[in-house]
Amino acid sequence: MFFPISQVFTNPLVLAAIGFVVGLLGGFFGVGGGFLAGPLMFWTGVPMNFVIGTDLAHMTGKSIVAARRHRALGNVDLRLGLLMIIGTIPGIEIGAQLIEIVDKTGQADIIVGYTYVFILTVIGLFTGWESIRTIRKKRTDLLPAQDVLDVERIERRSRLFNIPPLINLPVSGVESVSIWSIIFIGFFTGLLAGFLGVGGGFARLPMLVYIIGVPTHVAVGTDLFSIVISAGYGTITHSLKGNVDIMIALTMLTGAGIGAQIGAVGTRYFSGPTIRLMFSILPLIAAVLVLLRIVI
Amino acid sequence: MQDESTSPPKQDPSLLPLLRSILLEIAIYVPIVAAYFWLILRFAGDKLASLYQDSLTLYAIAATLAIVIQGVLLEVLTSWLLRRFGLRH
Repeated sequence: MFFPISQVFTNPLVLAAIGFVVGLLGGFFGVGGGFLAGPLMFWTGVPMNFVIGTDLAHMTGKSIVAARRHRALGNVDLRLGLLMIIGTIPGIEIGAQLIEIVDKTGQADIIVGYTYVFILTVIGLFTGWESIRTIRKKRTDLLPAQDVLDVERIERRSRLFNIPPLINLPVSGVESVSIWSIIFIGFFTGLLAGFLGVGGGFARLPMLVYIIGVPTHVAVGTDLFSIVISAGYGTITHSLKGNVDIMIALTMLTGAGIGAQIGAVGTRYFSGPTIRLMFSILPLIAAVLVLLRIVI
Repeated sequence: MQDESTSPPKQDPSLLPLLRSILLEIAIYVPIVAAYFWLILRFAGDKLASLYQDSLTLYAIAATLAIVIQGVLLEVLTSWLLRRFGLRH
């Protein structure tokens, strides 16, 4: 099929299949899946200048499907999601400015690439280590609850995160948390998104779990809600620059729609630590992909 | 140290109904998607392409609306399919 906007001949079923796989991951883990969708779209022949914008557009639609499903399951904390967005948008803008500064050095690809690899590796290893410890303790009945952590959440240990105003998050089961810590997470993940050109879900999910103490299932749903807003914002800005082929995005969304639903419903079948353990593999895969791109 | 959530997820230990529902849903979903390619994308494609050439502002609005509307419609359709084929959620 010919897609006139990006002037590409490609198979729509392949695009829908890519959407399905990325949608499945997104619905289950609460990530945008840009690290996987981007290279796959490029592989099908989509020009690089259309890849990021089109991926963001498809991510918006897919996250709407998955977030609505997670909301029906009681896994979306709207208050938390909206507060994060206050930090996310300026974070994206500052990240985009930073990349322009780095670009002037002529080493942008290498600096961004190695930063990305470092962050992904740390997140993957830490999440994997913590979830394995939790699962082992659960097996020996040392940890009774379904969704538990083997580390003390950072927000409790740091006075920095107790700066007023404090709010409670009943949907997440968090009694008291500083608004600033939530805005900080939004800002930091937005900064990563703007600087690295990714959605930031891979960082937001563990930060919500380990810093704020949000249960994994609610972190997945709330993360998807945030992605709707941040990816929607990215869709508009990239569309204005002519970098979105909406036909390709709509085609991918047909596959992503069903994948996201199945992924979201699938979270009911696994405990929080198991989801975190499976999630920990994703950043490591992404780190290898980025490393290969730098080296080769 | 431990941190416990207040509401553990509702677990369903049986994966068989899930797999059965997924296969049924995909079997029905694929023809619907194929029809969608033919009916919607073919007719809307030229209009969206000309909008892309003429006005990027209007194109940005149309693109965002299209992706949001399709997302909501797909969620309604897939939810209905999941309910129709007995997947408890």
